[in-house]
Amino acid sequence: MKANVLLRYKFIGVLAIFVVLILLVGFFSPGYTFTTVQNIGNLLSFGPELAIIVLGAGLLMIAGEFDLSVGSVLAFCAFVFQRLFTAGLHPLLSFIIVIAVGAVLGFINGIITVKAKILSFITTLGTMMLWRGLTLLLSGGIQSPCDTSAYPRFTALFSGTIGGFFPAQAVWYILIALLLVFLLHKHKFGNWVYSTGDNAMAARSMCINTDWVKIGCFMIVGALVALSSVIQIIRVAAFSSRVGTGWELRVIAAAVVGGTSLRGGRGTMIGIFLGACIIVIIENALTIMRLAYEWTFMVYGLVIMSAALLDLFIEKRKTKLAE
Amino acid sequence: MSELLLKLVEIDKYFGKVHTLKNINLDINKAESIGLVGDNGAGKSTLIKIISGYHQAEKGEIYWEGKKVNLRHPKIARALGVETVYQEQALAPHLSIARNIFMGREISQTAGFMNEKKMAEESMSALECLGLNIRNSEIPVSKLSGGERQGVAIARALHFHAKLIILDEPTVALAVKEVQEVLQFIRHMKSQGIAVIFITHNLHHVYSVADRIIVLSRGEIIGDIKTKDTDVDKLSDLIVTGTMGKLA
Repeated sequence: MKANVLLRYKFIGVLAIFVVLILLVGFFSPGYTFTTVQNIGNLLSFGPELAIIVLGAGLLMIAGEFDLSVGSVLAFCAFVFQRLFTAGLHPLLSFIIVIAVGAVLGFINGIITVKAKILSFITTLGTMMLWRGLTLLLSGGIQSPCDTSAYPRFTALFSGTIGGFFPAQAVWYILIALLLVFLLHKHKFGNWVYSTGDNAMAARSMCINTDWVKIGCFMIVGALVALSSVIQIIRVAAFSSRVGTGWELRVIAAAVVGGTSLRGGRGTMIGIFLGACIIVIIENALTIMRLAYEWTFMVYGLVIMSAALLDLFIEKRKTKLAE
Repeated sequence: MSELLLKLVEIDKYFGKVHTLKNINLDINKAESIGLVGDNGAGKSTLIKIISGYHQAEKGEIYWEGKKVNLRHPKIARALGVETVYQEQALAPHLSIARNIFMGREISQTAGFMNEKKMAEESMSALECLGLNIRNSEIPVSKLSGGERQGVAIARALHFHAKLIILDEPTVALAVKEVQEVLQFIRHMKSQGIAVIFITHNLHHVYSVADRIIVLSRGEIIGDIKTKDTDVDKLSDLIVTGTMGKLA
């Protein structure tokens, strides 16, 4: 029975880190600032902007690929939304178009990677530069306003609250996480994702179209980045060409902390969900504890190492118990 | 009376300018086990890939159960009942046994959601049919021994009602006991009326389970002998010298 529990719930290590982290930060933050209503509210509103992207990026990593262009796609999608909206298009329509744009950019990443057989690391390094450059060129690097308050229901959909407290952004995050949990763990597409990432040759010999599995995952990432860009731009009410800078590594770190293997084929959506929460909490903790910027790296490093070692420890325990 | 299952007629295969297979003529009967031997570069892998629909021959015809077929995609070969167990490409190591067995052919209900309970049940029965003593289909296959992994891959092929199972080097890198397990699986398949082709470099293994031995050399069949009409030394000579007519 015990072996089955560990086998089934592979994210137990990440859950342990998550709980310990909350306790530590809650306890050690000056004046217990971490646990104030305002801070939790901030976490739940701003956190999902990164966390939603992590869900998609983690799925892609399980399929065996990486997307370094997420930050640039974020900026480009924000730009498209801002231009469409200020040109007079209804925000809902602008939103739908931007999601499609994100999916198309994801498709481009995917098709180049699989057809030209280039490592996704390289492809998305290129597209990262491309979309950032295009955004800067077209926007002139100028910050532009994007106030959707004239459409209160639309605005509330992305930045309102439920029951006066629970932020809409967090609801989006949880809903998308649930959707992806079902897709990855309960749907046959999820088995194709795992097979493709774990042993692409085996998957192909079983007639799984690994190319389309990967392209599909890239498109999911693109669409989620687009969603996040809209959530963000509504909150900030302005477009800035610098958004998303450096996000690619935060996203990958979050997925790794969540138990996703860099080699593909391994990871769980709940783990990825928790990994994103952990990274967001760490960044929040660094702010409220007023730790110097240099400590950020130390903390990231320690958390990632602990996650990897804990994962190894649990793997070894599983082998022992399964015997 | 043995029935003809697969017939290859004058098969030629080129990779660019390289004439990989030359005028291959081969008959395989139901429930026959065939050892495919030959040195490296002889064309064994190419031949089995043609039979499994992975490659297409430039010239020649293939007949399955008497009817002419065009194996232009592995899916077509699989639908006819040809299953292949490739060497390193059979299983995903970190996936469970059940998910591996149903890889690409997941039992699903509405909207593609998997019926995991049924997959687990059918996996267990597939393993039991082969005599594999594995208690839990949720174990990742990397935790199994080499012999058990081959067993899972073979159980998968059996479960999907294969009529011809092709094994690419099934005994390589296995311990003695595991080799015996795999050879026993091959005998089991024969007893179930399934034809088996297996590629191997180990003439002793081939000798212990094959009805017939096909010797390939530089793309040509230089020997098609009943096992009882030869022995390991003669086979070895044939492969090494690569000439016909050495067996009187």
